[in-house]
This record gives sequence, structure tokens and C-alpha cells, in this order.
Amino acid sequence: MSLKQKAVPEAVTSVPSYCYNCVSGPDLMTVRVKDGIATAIAPNHDAIGIHPAHGRPCVKAYGLVQKTYNPDRVLTPMKRTNPKKGRHEDPGFVAISWDEALDAVAAKLKDIEATGKLDENSMPRVAATFGHGGTPASYMGTFPAFLAAWGAIDFSFGSGQGVKCVHSEHLYGEFWHRAFTVCADTVQTRLILSFGTNVEVSGGPCAVRRHADARIRGIKRIQIEPHLSPTGACSAEWVPIRPKTDAAFMLAMVHVLLHEARRDQLDLAFLKDRTASPYLVGPDGWYLRDPDSGKPLVWDEVSERAVPHDSPGIRPALDGTFEVRNVAAHGPDDERIAYDHVAARSAFQVMGDTMRPYTPEWAAEVCDVPAGTIRHVATEFLDNACIGETIVVGGRTLPFRPVAITLGKTVNNGWGAFECCWARTMLACLVGALEVPGGTLGTTVRLNRPHENRLASVKPGEDGFMANKLNATGKGKWADKPTGRNAHKPLIPIVGDSSWAQALGPTHLAWMFLKDAPKEWAKPNPPDLWFAFRTNPAISFWDTDQIIENMAKMPFVVAFAYTMDETNHMADILLPDATDLESTQIIRVGGTKFVEQHWEHAGIIIRQPAVEPQGEARDFTWITTEICRRAGLLEAYNTAINRGAALVPLKREHYDYSLAIDQVHDVETIWDAVCKAATHELTDGADVKDLAWLKTNGLFVVPFEKKDWYLLPTMEDQGLRFEMPYQERLLKAGIELGRRLHEHDIHWWDTQLKEYQALPTWHDVPHHWLKSTRDLGGHPDDYPFWAVTTKSMPYTTGNNAGIPLMNEVAQNLRGHGSVVMNAGAAKKLGIKAGDWVEVRSPISFTRGKAALVQGCRPDTIVVQGQYAHWKTPYAKDLNFPSLNKVIPLSMELTDATGSGADLVRVSVTKVDGPLAEDAR
Amino acid sequence: MTRYVMVADLRRCVGCQTCTAACKENNGTPVGVQWRRVLDIEAGEYPDVSRVFLPTGCNHCDKPPCMEVCPSTATGKRADGLVTIDYDLCIGCSYCIMACPYDARFKVEDLAYSYGEANAADQARSNPAEFDGVVSKCTFCIDRIDAGLAKGLVPGRDMEATPACVQGCISGALRFGDLHDPNSDVSQLIKNNKYFRQHEEEGTGPGFYYLWDKGAP
Repeated sequence: MSLKQKAVPEAVTSVPSYCYNCVSGPDLMTVRVKDGIATAIAPNHDAIGIHPAHGRPCVKAYGLVQKTYNPDRVLTPMKRTNPKKGRHEDPGFVAISWDEALDAVAAKLKDIEATGKLDENSMPRVAATFGHGGTPASYMGTFPAFLAAWGAIDFSFGSGQGVKCVHSEHLYGEFWHRAFTVCADTVQTRLILSFGTNVEVSGGPCAVRRHADARIRGIKRIQIEPHLSPTGACSAEWVPIRPKTDAAFMLAMVHVLLHEARRDQLDLAFLKDRTASPYLVGPDGWYLRDPDSGKPLVWDEVSERAVPHDSPGIRPALDGTFEVRNVAAHGPDDERIAYDHVAARSAFQVMGDTMRPYTPEWAAEVCDVPAGTIRHVATEFLDNACIGETIVVGGRTLPFRPVAITLGKTVNNGWGAFECCWARTMLACLVGALEVPGGTLGTTVRLNRPHENRLASVKPGEDGFMANKLNATGKGKWADKPTGRNAHKPLIPIVGDSSWAQALGPTHLAWMFLKDAPKEWAKPNPPDLWFAFRTNPAISFWDTDQIIENMAKMPFVVAFAYTMDETNHMADILLPDATDLESTQIIRVGGTKFVEQHWEHAGIIIRQPAVEPQGEARDFTWITTEICRRAGLLEAYNTAINRGAALVPLKREHYDYSLAIDQVHDVETIWDAVCKAATHELTDGADVKDLAWLKTNGLFVVPFEKKDWYLLPTMEDQGLRFEMPYQERLLKAGIELGRRLHEHDIHWWDTQLKEYQALPTWHDVPHHWLKSTRDLGGHPDDYPFWAVTTKSMPYTTGNNAGIPLMNEVAQNLRGHGSVVMNAGAAKKLGIKAGDWVEVRSPISFTRGKAALVQGCRPDTIVVQGQYAHWKTPYAKDLNFPSLNKVIPLSMELTDATGSGADLVRVSVTKVDGPLAEDAR
Repeated sequence: MTRYVMVADLRRCVGCQTCTAACKENNGTPVGVQWRRVLDIEAGEYPDVSRVFLPTGCNHCDKPPCMEVCPSTATGKRADGLVTIDYDLCIGCSYCIMACPYDARFKVEDLAYSYGEANAADQARSNPAEFDGVVSKCTFCIDRIDAGLAKGLVPGRDMEATPACVQGCISGALRFGDLHDPNSDVSQLIKNNKYFRQHEEEGTGPGFYYLWDKGAP
């Protein structure tokens, strides 16, 4: 009987590996290989009990087989023969040998080194752009060691960073609770308020499994979002809020807790001991301080006087206005203010006074949500907080506060995001649910170090808070010229100055300034050499026509190329790297990582060649070594590897697996040393494994204490307070920044300066987009819809547009490749399901088929994903719309953190059919 | 006596399509053939709207209407509940497609590979040409079950012997096992939760149970 009834052939092997195509990983998988050919992806069930999703990768991993055997791959090095660059210029790529390609790259590096690594504007002559959320680093082998060996690199040309990520959450989250990203303690919480978080789509297998288990356990999740996403679908309640009014909703929740709940319903102990709520604020808006020690003061209810906040045996007052004598204040630019006698309010009192106008009735008008809904959400949040309850985790008694708030993209970036991030963090503080079991948690750090341990990044700083290093704004200390092309250092104090800070700064400014730079600063030159890997800003940024135009100005582009695409269309050299299933790398796994990767283990995992590389594709580590050797960087490169650029230092006090720095090492030798050093580090030398062992076993982990999911114990142990509610430090930085900019006659950042507030107040956030429409020459009435974007799991951040399997399975989901709109709103425009429609903003237009639904606000449309490809094989024939075509790159839509939001006002009209290929 | 069934916990399913992709890759089905497909269903009117994700596929019925109409006897039924198709006997008449109330059967009219020509993986995985001109459907990964049983494994418990969709399901929504084993996961889930089966009123005795606490979507 030929019943498709075949036993699994004996010749089939199963190779353990990882998928880290999006920041929600890494997740585990195995590659089934038959006769040297990869045939299928499967979970790695050996990791049951270790990996929170039981060893399962998400749908994207199943596309890796097609990705490997995609006939459109670039499989030989290539060089450009047409010096002219532009979308409509044929690059004239011709195949060349690896020797020719590598020599060309090395020669360019040598030229630059001879000329000077910085150009006449003090900008790095070499720039590099990597794609989503740092994940390319999990595929580029030892390339970070080259970057370290070289030194001055400009990372500021983004592919969407700042405007497509949870940008404000990154900055404020890390500032307030070491939370580069924020999540619910899903495994223990009871109520999650999700403002646009699409965790069921972009949270990865670990989040999906945690939330599914939580639903069965009885958790309630309320989704507040303009359209009914899969996460909304899986929630208990959907609240269709008007776009970009989330801050008003949350400020009203703060109002309910402060002015409608009884004071003793809040977590008073947490507020008094772990926040700055009792700190006294003077009439000028600065903390009142002890004149001798400079410490902030609190009102002691025992002695009935103002005392330093860390005085022993005191009972700080939370509410109230007090008369205090002989105190000081520290203003901007080190101004010292002395008060003989002054009225002081506690920061908590100031917050209460500020939040008084924001009633649910007020917010109802702003958000187009009934006041009763806002009030019941706030009340449920309070009722489920279990204030007073405790739980023992890892032998330590901690507060148990099973309520959490999460924010999604477009809520936590762009205008209004500061208010949302503040309100989310403050609501958690009001019930003591920040960084405790059941509450709102951070996951990892990127602006602070060490990256692998966010708890270790906490150090005592000023005023009883943890230390945060801001870019200097003081007179004589401020960087008056950009050091990278996105100007992160002069403009964004809170982002700091690490390599991640560059990549997180306002990356769209780097592109915009290539076209029109501010007159006060020298117009930046394009970098002499630009490296691009796993990135396609030509379709993934905004105003893609402008991005492409600017990209064409890059004189020498080296792209690590998988297939031809819209960005490497501008390249001079294409280098085919051995991709996911073909090459070797070891990365960290477990602990707490982005999104909801909370493990009870931590260690290392290997990606290994399940199959031989196709064509002449080469392992990234081999490519990097050869570039360094030919460019005269070998010793610096090997030294960087020895120092830890390939994962962990190869030499420490108690071990030495370091590589000889004057020799060329092959791929296996390098990773064998890394494996031994990493396992030595994890086990204090008790269980050192080599590369052969890791290839067989896939991963090596040791227990990770669940207690370390939470920051509170670290804060308690160091006697630190979360820097809430009052933002004296940020207010001061904003005032100083304004002074510095104005001293240099820079006034185009004035709107952003207004965001520096000690406490958020509502401003008409949606108005920014109406004003932008007007400023671009349109009338808001002619663009009556809010256009927002969303994702589906087969495509979320995976660069999967060229993989047919992803397109096939995504078609089962509504709105795939379409313009999603409310059926009633469509009917009024004479639009039927499947009709072609044109979505137009003042700057451009895109076309797609209409998908009509009930689960979308009538004033909102949704355009999913990032498409509109014109070069990527397969993807260019999909003919899908893209919001990136119609969103402007805009200074006025950039907030004070340098971020924007995926949002634009548009018109929608029925048209006859798709755009011609050249017009897409 | 064994009766293999599938359970889909709709409270867990997020519509990610991982099961669909895992099925396609493991079974080497041609473009457009989805033995396991997750539907995206909306009900209600704005703003009172619900949306639910519904995994579908062959229900491996007790009384398969597809088998009843099959003129060539290609469709058969095993003692363990699995409904089978013998491609050597199938004449591609498609009567079964019309008879199946679950829209679970596929006939490939124009055999296509993802990138046009069959690539190395297409050729190594299976021979899609065997689908040409015949009707196919979910087999409950019959090959994995039988190979697993031969090794003494328990389908539904041991992942090697369990359908690829269940093995891949990231939310834990899909479960598989023996309904006649009172201690199997599927028996326990069905016993302890509200459930429905599709088109039960047609008397097909479907072997696909949907756990759901809000009534049929």
C-alpha cells in the first residue's frame, strides 16, 4: 500500500541548533537532515523542562529549509560594475572570487586607516548597520571582534531602530528599572492590562506558551488597542481606543487610584521606602535638600521636621504640604538655591495635584472609550493587586502583586510614549507591583552593563537612586557637535553613549541629515565604507523613497548578501555568508532576556552546520578572519576575541583558553576555545566542555535562580529607591539641554524640549500627526483615517518576505498583505472586500486589497508588515501594500527620546488595481 | 481497542500557523495543500466583536462520509480510527471532497513547487509528484505513529510518535492520543473541559475535539 506510510529513514539525522530570527528568541530546534540535505525543522524536545516553550521554535523556523535552498540566493561574491547608484540603475553585479572580494574590502579599510578613521567632521568613516534588535549578532560569528579591532564605527544608520522598536520603553524602562524591554510576570500574575502589546504574535514561543498556560490558569487580560489583534482575540476583553490616546487612559487610571480609591488601598510601604514619593519638592520644582549633605529631604512624621531621606528610624509622610526651614535646592547647571523658610510638597502630593484633572470622564472624550470602562479597568487593577500578600521565591520573601501593564509599539514610542511609560511604571508603584512576583518586570539591559546580568548593572547613584549615566548637558560638558551621524550625544541625554546608544539614537536623523542637515552643524558626509547585514532599510524605514535616495550616496557598500534586495542593490561588494543552517556560532541562552524569555536555567547554545553551505557561501567567522588578515588587523582581531568579543573572555584569572594573536585560527578552533571558556565560566571550571560535546548536545545550561527575575531584592539590598514619581533629574537635563542648544542658536529641537517634565501632563498627542499632515501640505479632513501597522507571526521581524512557505501559511490570517478596515467604514466609501484601495498620505501612496472586518475602529486602518519590495525575489511579486511608503521621516514627529511611532493620517479610495511595478 | 483523536484547545490557540508549517514540511505537501490549517474567524459587530482561531483538518470520523462515496475503495479506515487514502487506488474523482463536511481534502490540479522547480529539499523530503492527480488529506502522521509504535513508543506521549502539528504547537493547544485510554492526555482533557465537535449532528463521529468554554464559535 503506498499510503504515504513511510518509516523515518535510518539515514536521517537530527542536528540541534537555534533560531534567533527575532528578539523573542533564541529558541531551540533541530534540523532533520537526509543524505546531507536539510528536509525539515522540528522542536528539540530534549529541552523540555529547560526551555519555557518545551524546545519548540515558532513558525518562522520552519521557513529555514526553504531559506537554505532558495534558488535566488547570492552564492558567489560579486562586485558592482555600474558606478551609478539608484533604484533605477542596474548595479551590473558580476561574480568574482573570494580573493578579489576580500582584497577589495581590505584595501578600502587600509585606505581609510591611512587617511584617518574619522573624517573632517570627526565622524567615523566606517559605518555598520545590522537589523532587528541585535539579533544579527547571533549570526555574524566573530564580526564583533572585527568591529572592536577597528574602533571608530558609526552605528547610527538604522533600519527602523527608534521608530519601529519599543524605543521610549527601552530608554525610560532601563532608566527606571533596568528594563530594556518590559513584560508581565505572566506565570504568576492574575491581571494584565495590555495597551497594544501584541505578545501572541511577536512574543515568541516562550511568551505564547506562558500566556496560554496563564489563560488556562484563569488569568484575565484586557487588550486596549484600536484593532482586534490576535492578542486581543485571545484576551478576555477588547477596548477599542482611539490611536495615540493611551496616555490619557493611563493618566485617568492614576487619577482613580489617587483620588477615588482609599489611600490605604495603595501599597504605602512600597511607595515610602522604595520610591521617591516622600521627597520634598520646593516652589521652584527642585527637591529640597539638606544644605550640608545635599541629600533630598522627607517630612518625618515622628519628629515633625524635614530630614534626609535615609535617616534611620523615621516615618516619612506620603501626602502633604509642609513648612520647612533652612534647606537647599540644586537647580540646573549646578545652581545652588538656599531657602530660609519655604512651603514644600511631597513628590506624591505634587503628583496627586497634577493628576487631579485627569478624571475618567475627561479621558473618555479623549480616548473615545466610556468613562465606566476606564474606571472598571482601574478598579480591577487595584482589586487584583493583593497588597499585603507575600510569596517566597528562592528562599526570599517578596511582595506578591499579581497585576501588570504592558505597552506595545506605537504606544511606547513617539509622542505620548513618555507619558505612557511613566504612567505604566507609576501604576505599578502605586500598588507595589514593580519588579516583584506577579507584577511588571524588566527583562534585560543594553544601555547599561553587563548585558548578561541586569541585576549586576544596578549600582548606587545620586539621591538614593540607582546610577544612570546620561549624556552630559552641563555647561562646558555638553557635546556641541554630533559624534555619530544621528546626533544621539548632543540631543538625547537619556540614551547615554554606548554602542547600543548610537544604534538606538534617533536613527532616522542619520538618514535625514544626509539630505538636509541642520545649518548649525556641518553636513555629514556619507561614510566611506558601509557594512550592512540582515538589514533592509530601503523597505523597512519610513519615506522609503527618501531613504533609497540617501542610500545611493554611499560610496562603498559591503553587504553580506542572502539574496538580492532593495538595500544591497546599492552595494559595491556582495559577500555570501553561510546562513542559518550552514554555519557555526555559540551564544548565550536563558536567564532573563528580551520580551518574555524568563528561564530557570542559563547557559550557552550552538548553531552548527547541519548541512554544507550552498555554493560558495562561507562561514561568517571565516570571512571576518580573512578580512582582518588582509587588512592588517589580525592581532587586534585575535586580541578582541581573547577579550570576549566572540561571547566570553578566553582568558581570566582562573583559566586561559586564549588564542595566539599572531596566527590565523580556523572557525572550529575559535569556537572550541569559546565553548571551553564559557562552560568554565558557568561552572567555575568544574565541567568544561569542548565544541564536539556541544555539537552533540546542543546546549549547556546551569540553574538560574527564579529570584533573579525580579529587581526588587537588589534594590532592597542596596537600599535604593525607584526614581518615581518625580523626574527632577530629567527635568534638569531638559533645561540644561535647552540652554546649550539655544546658546548655539539651535531652536529646531524646542518642541522636544517640552517633553522634559517632572511629571507628565496631557498634551494633545494625536495633534502632532494632524499638524504634520498640515505642514506637509495636506488638510486633515482630506486624510480622515489613522493608519497603523501590525504583524503576523510568520513575518514578525524575520526578514521572511522571500520565503514562499511563510506567505502560504500567513494567508490563513485575516489581513495578510491587505488593507484592513472596518466593514461599516468601507461600506460608506463603496469599498467591498477584495477591492483594490489606495492609501494616501501627503507624501506618497500605496495600494492593496481591502480586507473588511468588524474588529477595527471605523476611523482606523491597519496595514500589516513591511512589504513594497521591488528587488527581493519572490517578495517583489507579492504586490502587498506598505505603510512605510506613506509615513514621513519627520523632525516634528520625533519625540525627545529620538523616537517616532508607526502612525500616519491617510485617505482611502477605491482604485482599479495594483500599481505598475515601477511605481511600487 | 485504540481510538486516536486530536484535541484543539481553542483557549490556547493563537493562530500562529506553526502547526500548518510543521505539517507541510514534515509531510512534504505541495503548495496550497494544508492538511492542518488554522482558520481566523470573527463574530459580532463593532465594537462587540470576538475573534477565534480554529485548527482544522481531517476529523478521522467514526463513519467517514468520504469513505462512503469513494468508488475505488481508496479511502479506508483502520481499527485505530485513522482514515486512510491509498494513492494507488485513488482515481481523483473528488467525490470525497464533496462529501467531506470538514473541507479537509485536497486535490492538486497543477502541481507546483515553492520556487518553481523542485529543489534539493523538495526531492529529499518526499516526492510531491505522488500527490499529482489524487486526493490527499491529513493522515495524523500515520508514518510517525506506526514507526513509533514499532519502537514501543506511545503516540501523543512520545513526540517522535506524535503528529508533527502537535509536536510543533507552541501554545500547547494541539494534543493527540488514544481516546480509549482513560489516562491519556486527550481523555483527561475531554473529561475535564467543555468541548464540541464540528458537524456532530451529521453523525460522522468526528475524532477532532475542540475545548472551548464559550460555546461553539
